[in-house]
Amino acid sequence: MSTASVRRRVTRRELHSPRSTAAIVVAVLLVLALAWVGTEIVIALLGLPALLVAPADMFASAVNLPEAPAGIVVAAGAVAVVLGLVLIVLGLAPGRRPRHVLETERAATVVDNEVVASALARHASLAADVDPDHTTVSVSKRVAVVDLVPTSGVPVDRADVTEAVDRELAGYGLRQKVSSRVRVRENGKVGA
Amino acid sequence: MNSTNRGLNRLLLLVVGLLLVAVGSAAATAVLLPSVRDGWKASADPIRDQVASWLQATPLGGTGVSWIMPAVLVVIVLAVVLLVAFALRQGRGRTGTVVDESVGEHGQTVISSKVAEEAIQDALSARPEFVASHVTTYRVKRTPTLKVSVTCRRGVSPADASAIVESNLRALDQLLGRELPALVQISGGFRARVSGSTRLQ
Repeated sequence: MSTASVRRRVTRRELHSPRSTAAIVVAVLLVLALAWVGTEIVIALLGLPALLVAPADMFASAVNLPEAPAGIVVAAGAVAVVLGLVLIVLGLAPGRRPRHVLETERAATVVDNEVVASALARHASLAADVDPDHTTVSVSKRVAVVDLVPTSGVPVDRADVTEAVDRELAGYGLRQKVSSRVRVRENGKVGA
Repeated sequence: MNSTNRGLNRLLLLVVGLLLVAVGSAAATAVLLPSVRDGWKASADPIRDQVASWLQATPLGGTGVSWIMPAVLVVIVLAVVLLVAFALRQGRGRTGTVVDESVGEHGQTVISSKVAEEAIQDALSARPEFVASHVTTYRVKRTPTLKVSVTCRRGVSPADASAIVESNLRALDQLLGRELPALVQISGGFRARVSGSTRLQ
């Protein structure tokens, strides 16, 4: 049925960046550069003085490049190479977004990692009896790291927290299994 | 979700990146490496003569200028038009109808996507779990597909959020008499962080 293929396509596209921003920026810069060269050509054809550089001078300076000041040419070349490498990486890297897919019946569902983290933080802070502000959770593709700063004098049972977090994670039905890691700080905080 | 051609985006980035690396490294080596530098200088004069002879050989009527320059201009204008079209094509693919069906001799049934969008958004805006919700309709593989984006309050379980949206989608299925493919996007974001947590369990 086509619903399954629509669902697959939509999920795959939601998990990866479309690279639209980078592509639009590059396209706009190219348009500006081309428009400038085009304007210079028109001006040269009309026999008027150039805006910045006449086309003939552009060609001449490219041909006579080795005579140009070495420092400027090398610096400009290095900048171009670095920019080029950044664009190549943007073009080839998968560009995964920080999201997870939920196993659901009706709709394809993607959830931001920060939503999973904030839900886990609530349960971890309840299980550990730690102030929510002293609970930090970060969720990545395969692990959820729970960081707890205990209240001074109140011990935190790490096994309890791990169990609560694992139970929660199992209940979310994430397609990519996420394992938990609970860290309890040595030094507590007074009050709270 | 939208119809953005992602392969084309990546291709543009890749091609421009390769060009920049090639030009940049060519310029740098032409200045730094003596052998490349000498080769560049040696070929400078022949290239200049060659281009000059091309410009001479291609006169434009009696004006005394070559038609190569206007031709380059045309190519530039074409490239600009293509790039602008490319940039404007991003993020399209929304549709205004969810159902468009001819039912025999009695005519046609058309359901606007506003019906589906507003029904779901209305139901979701009443839920305390969500700070915001937004429903749009896209055409994916020629099938109208709903996109339901919800912004959760702090601490809301993704499973609960998904269950709420799914029950609303099922209600819509009943209403329309058919199942529309749907994508649910559950996000947090700035508004979720500053809006305080919910007291629901």
